[in-house]
Amino acid sequence: MSPLLIVFKKEMLEIVRDRRTLIAIGLAALATPLIMTVISQLATKTATQTYTVGYSGEIPVGLDVLLRATGLKLERVADPAAAAKQQVDLGVVFQAAQIDEYYDPTRQGAQIADTRLQTVLGRYEAAKAEAALRERGVDPGVLHPLPVTVHPLSSPVKAAGNAFLSFFLPYILITMVLTGGLSAALDSSAGERERKTLESLLLTPAPRSRILLGKILAIGAISLVAAVAAIGSMLLALTQIALPGEGGSSHISLTPLAAGVMVWLAILLAGTFSSLTLTLGTLAKNFRQGQAYATPLYFITIFPASIILFIPDFNPNLAYYLIPILNAVLVLRDAIVHNTVAWPALGVTSASLVVAGVACWFAALRLFTREALLVRS
Amino acid sequence: MSPAAVTVDRLEKTLGKNKVLRGISLEANAGEIFGLLGPNGAGKTTTLRVICTLLAPESGAVKVLGFDTRSAPEEVRRRVGVVTADIGVYPRLSARENITYFAQLSGVPDGEVNQRVDGVIDRLGMASFANQRADSLSSGQKQKVAIGRAIVHDPEVLMFDEPTSNLDVLASREIREFMVESRGRGRCVIFSTHVLHDAERLCDRVTILHEGSVVATGSTSEVRGAHRDLEDAFLELVL
Repeated sequence: MSPLLIVFKKEMLEIVRDRRTLIAIGLAALATPLIMTVISQLATKTATQTYTVGYSGEIPVGLDVLLRATGLKLERVADPAAAAKQQVDLGVVFQAAQIDEYYDPTRQGAQIADTRLQTVLGRYEAAKAEAALRERGVDPGVLHPLPVTVHPLSSPVKAAGNAFLSFFLPYILITMVLTGGLSAALDSSAGERERKTLESLLLTPAPRSRILLGKILAIGAISLVAAVAAIGSMLLALTQIALPGEGGSSHISLTPLAAGVMVWLAILLAGTFSSLTLTLGTLAKNFRQGQAYATPLYFITIFPASIILFIPDFNPNLAYYLIPILNAVLVLRDAIVHNTVAWPALGVTSASLVVAGVACWFAALRLFTREALLVRS
Repeated sequence: MSPAAVTVDRLEKTLGKNKVLRGISLEANAGEIFGLLGPNGAGKTTTLRVICTLLAPESGAVKVLGFDTRSAPEEVRRRVGVVTADIGVYPRLSARENITYFAQLSGVPDGEVNQRVDGVIDRLGMASFANQRADSLSSGQKQKVAIGRAIVHDPEVLMFDEPTSNLDVLASREIREFMVESRGRGRCVIFSTHVLHDAERLCDRVTILHEGSVVATGSTSEVRGAHRDLEDAFLELVL
């Protein structure tokens, strides 16, 4: 049997017997659907929630009906501006020729209520204007010299679902590929030094490059298992959970293309992260020090996914796809949102991740063959 | 006379800013227990680490059974087994799995691995705990696992670096008996220790190191000379 396979089998055996790793994977698989359920319930609650409008003055005829139909509850107050600070979501003063609105933009409820009020007022004004024109014998069509008919190319509800997936899926994928194998990587590198088995291992005639590769394969395998468990449970949960949106609610699902891209990226990321975490673990004298070295890696997972959250339409040129991790997020986003794959982008991404993985592997090998590794331990 | 199993010739080594070995030379033969003696920091462990290829010589040469440690490190490792005071074993593997892992990595043919491991377990009297996870073993039992993995590929050179320093009286005696048995099998046994009483009882020849240099070498009786014991001779040499 080749040393690579011997080390791989032994590392897998140790991982399977390590409660820390198994608990982490199990928790991730359970926690993801739980988070999805909470998000779904919060989204449903926000969509159906009634917000309170504190008002003074006389409400124009018919407007109160429209407001109530839009989920805005009317409550007469003495001072709408003061009430809008805490007591109600919006404060409105109805005067004969104008309406004054007061709201606190730092409150999410106030923002939603404001959007609803503006929509209702827009419709009310349009209806009043049309009625006035008809009274004067004028065709209300003059108000719309260029009527617009909207033809969405995909279901708005599905698009909202895809946007949701395009943030969460890359985030969970990258986080789980990293954290799923982290404990195993540190145990397999810093742990060898800490429990003083490294010297015996290096005393065997097996080439160190094969030993290292066997370890990386095992860590990569458990990282993939962790990612598949978390994403699988998330997708399973999404088949049971409906997310609300304009025009109704819908179930979110992953297209076969996006699933294929995700699996390919997961394999590449697992290879890169395994080499990277093993390198960091080899630098460390013990497990705890290895954890300290690995902590900054969490930012690497959060930052690229955050770009998608804050700049959903971020469409960079091909050079951006050279940046490991960010490139995986971008490719996965495109596959989920647009159900397409830009092959040049995928090619650059794959090459970038492979190069990063090989560079980390060489770094780990260099550390693994340095005398200082033993002298320091 | 057959060539020495291990030859160290004018070996020098610096670790960090410290010159740890200052041109030491020694020879250890098959069928003898060779004592490498000296106080802490004398350079014993560094010498052993160079012999087993974990460290590279800075200058000088080291040969094991004719193989140079610089040009043929893997051939050297195939022929060397090392037992240290640090009894590091894989805690989530059983004693048997620990030894099997090292048998496989040491190049024991697949068809012979089980037979070799069984033989080692039998020879070291490990049958009662062979299938127990290593994290539940006593220090003495772990040391047997460490010996087992060091000898499972049947190396011709065995090196023991302070092997009894963490062990109780019974376990220490078993280690000493094992070294004697290995000598009887024609193995070259290098025993590094600062416990001169042990060295005097076991070693055929000794080399005393002090601050990275050889201060005495020869048969145990030659080095002891007219002194009452090896300890007196040692103190006179290093003080």
